[in-house]
Amino acid sequence: MQTSSGSDRLIDRAIVITVTVGGAALLRHFLLAESWITVLVLLAVFAVLLVTVQKRPVLEERLVSGFRRSRALAIAVGLVIVGIFPWLLNGDSYALHLLIIANLYAVLALALNFQLGSANIPNFATGASYGIGAYASALLAIHFGVSFWVCLLVAAIVATTFGFLLGLPSMRTRDSYQALVTIAFGIVVHQLLMNFEWTGGANGLVGIPSPVLFGHSFNDPITLFGYSLPGQGNYYYLSSALVGLAIVSAQRLHSSRVGLAWNALRDDELAARASGINVTWFKVQAFAVDAFLAGFAGTVYAFYVSFISPDNFTFLVSVTIMTMVIAGGMDNVLGVIVGAFLLTMLPEKLRAFSDYRILFYGLVVIGFLIIRPRGIFPQRVRNHEH
Amino acid sequence: MNDMLFQQIINWLTLGCIYSLLALGFSLLFGVLQVIHFSHGDVAMVAPFVALAAVQALATTLLGSSAWVVLGLACLIAIAVVGGLGVALDRLVIGRFRDAPAMMPLVATVALGIVIRELIRHLYPEGSNPHAFPAIAQGALATPFGAVPLISVVSVLVSVGLVATLLYVLHRTPMGMRIRAVSQDRETARLFAIAPGPVFRNTFFIASAVGAVGGIFLASYAGVVRFDFGVQAGLIGFSAAVVGGLGCLGGAIVGSLLIAAIETIVQGYVPNGTSYRLVFVFALVIVVLIFRPAGLFGVQKVEKV
Repeated sequence: MQTSSGSDRLIDRAIVITVTVGGAALLRHFLLAESWITVLVLLAVFAVLLVTVQKRPVLEERLVSGFRRSRALAIAVGLVIVGIFPWLLNGDSYALHLLIIANLYAVLALALNFQLGSANIPNFATGASYGIGAYASALLAIHFGVSFWVCLLVAAIVATTFGFLLGLPSMRTRDSYQALVTIAFGIVVHQLLMNFEWTGGANGLVGIPSPVLFGHSFNDPITLFGYSLPGQGNYYYLSSALVGLAIVSAQRLHSSRVGLAWNALRDDELAARASGINVTWFKVQAFAVDAFLAGFAGTVYAFYVSFISPDNFTFLVSVTIMTMVIAGGMDNVLGVIVGAFLLTMLPEKLRAFSDYRILFYGLVVIGFLIIRPRGIFPQRVRNHEH
Repeated sequence: MNDMLFQQIINWLTLGCIYSLLALGFSLLFGVLQVIHFSHGDVAMVAPFVALAAVQALATTLLGSSAWVVLGLACLIAIAVVGGLGVALDRLVIGRFRDAPAMMPLVATVALGIVIRELIRHLYPEGSNPHAFPAIAQGALATPFGAVPLISVVSVLVSVGLVATLLYVLHRTPMGMRIRAVSQDRETARLFAIAPGPVFRNTFFIASAVGAVGGIFLASYAGVVRFDFGVQAGLIGFSAAVVGGLGCLGGAIVGSLLIAAIETIVQGYVPNGTSYRLVFVFALVIVVLIFRPAGLFGVQKVEKV
């Protein structure tokens, strides 16, 4: 690594800028695409890029090492792109809405990734934690007028408590049995939300007030240098900050003892136990971290749409989040985010096929799983160089 | 005996038998292939639709035959078609994830379930709406305790017969022996010249065909069928198989009877029970797995290093 010459560094920088700006441009075209032909062409471009990378490991290695060496530049360019992206959407509020939902799903997928990716614990209850967070903050805001920022924290704590409750019984079970415990938990939560009177039953809760920060209501448009961004812009930045928080936690946890312990029990639980890792404790911790972040996402969702019903938090939502992690690439932060963005936007962009879009969605998921059996961005071997 | 209690027992047995037919497939496939076939419920619920289509096709060609002959033939066709569908799905999708980590086939089959449901919705005329499904048997049998609907009698008898046949095939025929051999140890079975490919095919056919019978009974018992019934059928079948202990066929049956029991009791005796039905069923699943982490009859695997 130390021998890399000046021209190598230049190529690294070129790679980073090309890939990030190119990715953002691809995303922008995808979001603004009106005709289904454009959507399919963009999907095909993406698939061809993936197949090329899959067929040429050298190329993949070069890209990865380029990013690894020019980390600071990549982060700076990424932040700038995230900051200016909504201003480049020609004021399309629907595209902005899709971005917010994709951001929230990215948070949920990253949350699940702590368990599924890092520790290989199947969890079909992320949707339930998301729902618990959303309902907790909605109830607080409607009945007690609690402010958004307090709700954010309280709802996350409530969701975490339930995460612990779910984690405890699943300590003894494994694999498919554990998967079923989480499925059962998710269904019980959904059915209870559906039937309790104080959660509004199937009609859900309406009239959640919008958050206020330093006197700026989140419903008001953002105006900067004479340009104006619709009210969703506020939620875009909020949800992006949440994704940032999830990424930072993922990175910090990954390089901490906790992340190492999770990876150890993913590879071989017995060996991990023999090395003195308290397997049970780390598993419960993974559940709690997942629920905490999912609770955050739930609160933002509830305040953003100001109306929630049990149908937003079904078993199929958990399955979708699971699909995002696995199709994107387990234990790979970038992969999980790409998976979340792709699978959130795909069904919406396929509206031209109206009725057939869900069918198409299923086929695309199976197709990607077959093309890249280890996910769009597979997990990398731990980098022990630093 | 109290009349209500008698009716509840009949309901319980009928539901329990239908659920067993769905759960057996999950258990069998897991035992042999170590794969959770999450779209199994959807595959099973294809059967009533094929049967409905076959009834219409046969009614015009076999004019004059009795309605029962037509319906029976249609059901047989549906069972064979769904068995073949299972094999085809394995070949097209599930088989590609044979050596992948367990989560991959799980997610692939979840996506497959979506595809199957959507295909039914689009290919079947007016697929989004519920379709009435004819009762496979009408009338009731008079017994000293009360009237027993004939459909319950048929469901229970056919289920018991099917399970007996399945056990006979698995334990007394060469094909069954090969299936059990592969489920015990794929590598060693290979050394004894048992090719896994045909065994996988047979297992998929058997599991899907048995599930198809369950799907037809479920539709017939409910009187209607809709494209998305497979989700719940699959979840309940999977739960029953896991509660009993995956890979253990007897366990799958006990699990089904247990889940059917709690469902019947809640619906019959708990106020507002119909809406809380699933809460109780899945709470039971959690409780069972807390105390028996490998299911009721599953053996807790002791790992050797």
